[in-house]
Amino acid sequence: MDYALDSKLARFARRIKPAKKKKRLAPPSPFKQYKEGLPDDKAEQLREFFEDFSAHCLIAKKEKKRLQTDFERAILHYENAGVSLEKALDLLAVKNLGSFYARPPVLWFPLDDAAKIYPLSMEHGIMSIFRLSVYLKQSVVPELLQMALNFTIKRFPSFATTLKKGFFWHYLDTTKRRFTVEQEKGVPCESLKVALSGSQSFRVIYYENRISVEFFHVLTDGYGGMAFLMALTSEYLRLMGVEIEPEGMLWDVNAIPVAEEVENAFAKVPRSGSASGFMDKLAVQMNGKLSENKPSRVIHFKMNASELKAVAKKHHTTITVYLLTLMFLAGRAATDELQGEASIQVPVNMRKFYPSKTVRNFSMYCGIRMPIEETTDVQSIIVKVDEQLQKKASKESMDAMLMATVRLVKFLKYIPLILKQRVAKVVYGFLGDKIFTNTLSNLGVINVPPAMAEHIESMDTVMGPPITNRASCSVITMNDIATFSITKTTFDPTFEEAMYDLLLADGISITVEGSDFYEA
Amino acid sequence: MKLKITYPPVEKRKLQRRHLLRIIRWPVLFAVVMSPVVNYILGGKAWSLIVLMSIYMAWSLVLSPDLVEYNRISQSIKLISFSCSLLAMIDFFLSPGWAIDVVPIVCFGGLVITGVMFFTDIDRQKQNMLPMLFLIVVAIIGSIVGLSIWHEKVRWPFAVMGATAVLLLVACIITLRGEFLRELKRRFHVK
Repeated sequence: MDYALDSKLARFARRIKPAKKKKRLAPPSPFKQYKEGLPDDKAEQLREFFEDFSAHCLIAKKEKKRLQTDFERAILHYENAGVSLEKALDLLAVKNLGSFYARPPVLWFPLDDAAKIYPLSMEHGIMSIFRLSVYLKQSVVPELLQMALNFTIKRFPSFATTLKKGFFWHYLDTTKRRFTVEQEKGVPCESLKVALSGSQSFRVIYYENRISVEFFHVLTDGYGGMAFLMALTSEYLRLMGVEIEPEGMLWDVNAIPVAEEVENAFAKVPRSGSASGFMDKLAVQMNGKLSENKPSRVIHFKMNASELKAVAKKHHTTITVYLLTLMFLAGRAATDELQGEASIQVPVNMRKFYPSKTVRNFSMYCGIRMPIEETTDVQSIIVKVDEQLQKKASKESMDAMLMATVRLVKFLKYIPLILKQRVAKVVYGFLGDKIFTNTLSNLGVINVPPAMAEHIESMDTVMGPPITNRASCSVITMNDIATFSITKTTFDPTFEEAMYDLLLADGISITVEGSDFYEA
Repeated sequence: MKLKITYPPVEKRKLQRRHLLRIIRWPVLFAVVMSPVVNYILGGKAWSLIVLMSIYMAWSLVLSPDLVEYNRISQSIKLISFSCSLLAMIDFFLSPGWAIDVVPIVCFGGLVITGVMFFTDIDRQKQNMLPMLFLIVVAIIGSIVGLSIWHEKVRWPFAVMGATAVLLLVACIITLRGEFLRELKRRFHVK
């Protein structure tokens, strides 16, 4: 009996000994070492700084610790970069946190009318995500990017949220935590884990000189996403010591958010006229086996924007129409079908018809259709594409689609979410993206202040992988570089190769960048 | 077309996990189809319904967990709801007569567990109140129905379950006060 007790005690002692040893051996943190080496006046300055931080940060203990570590890492980065402590503390001034971390969460946001479908239709591995990236001229400093996010998030209260389930609809509930920046490791536009308490519905990632933000579409559309990315980048550059005057092009991260910026703009549109625009015939799909991992690859064509514009002008049209035309032709090459219609979805920013500052979703879309048999060369279809785009992306057509959305939401509003979810999954699973062949989202020319532009190389935007479509495309222009991006869901390279050849044939020089194939 | 790689390589493990989940679907689907067939051929009691319910339970809790609000309260309540349904089915289809006592006891246990989870981490868990409210409402309705239908039999499990649910509800209201109403407003909005 005694022996058994002794052996138990011995086992217990063995179990606790290594822990003690480990504790003794743990080296002091680099920041502690740095702090201990400081002269008294600077140590006092630092102590006051963190006291101020404590007064401004009343979130959960664990999150506060993380936030404090972010400050410590940033200070160490400045120290290693030869920046004086005074300057570092000035750049990292606690006032930049605002009162975001000092107050408990109160706000909540019902989903806007366009966002309501996204959580209803999502499945494991299928989530509407899009990505915006900015390429800097220097490698990203993660410590400062994290601080830039810590300072920027307060300006976008509808982004500092977690998706929650209500009885009738989902909604966004404010979450006060330290939002994280991660090094890019996964597949672009990979599903976000939005299910856990306090999880974020966007992802800030960096890789070499690229800062990317991936958004779950419940939060925002391209316009809102761009406002966030530009605000984040300008804050990052400020922390890097670059002085930028916003010149009305950037969001001031220290300004107080106003209701108009987070409103459901659909509710403000006058409700009259006919409603139509959702249903359409099934479109011809490009061939090629769908990959198991989506996207199978991401490709960027980087072109000179002036060259591209000149070529579009030569065809008496816009860049969007020109690219749409080439996409129809490239799509034609990527399918074995001889009959039927191809259709390209084109998102339309409703802010151009109803000016709004909202960063929530406020976009609709139209479908440009073209019979396969008629898709033979640029000249034969470019006028038809132009005519269709003008008509289908007009205010009248968009109003009709918007009305259909508003009415659908109104019709469904008293049906419990559990039923809506089942029906949406069946309908979405049945239709999905089958009425389109491809997508083209043109975010246009992004203008930023010159002081900021000189630190940026280019930008790109990646659409989330479609379900049935073999590709979806987007284009964005910055610093005279137009980046046409293709999100692929098949290993068949015909579409991008045809697109490349068509652009090359028109005398446009292209640099091709992208990912390798994502194979299991 | 020469492509310059500007994206990091992705861990194969991450991609293979997704692949594995896709593969698992097939044996599950096979079991879903085969168990009613075998049950029909062999005859006897409808045990295949229990199998189907168990598969759905495993699928829903382990293989295809919730995409929104996956937290300890919601998952515990899901587990309790599935367990109660499974017990009721076993009682009804295989060996009748005991579930009337057992289900309210399991439900009572569930209320206690979720109550502890809720009140020990209230700051975070108040955002996850809806599933618990549902369990409370179901427990109250269940106890009223149970007490009125089976009033001739032993009724203490229903009484205990109902009383616990009411207590938990009162405790929530007292603790959260205004926030309780705000939470209800969010959860039941139609905007």
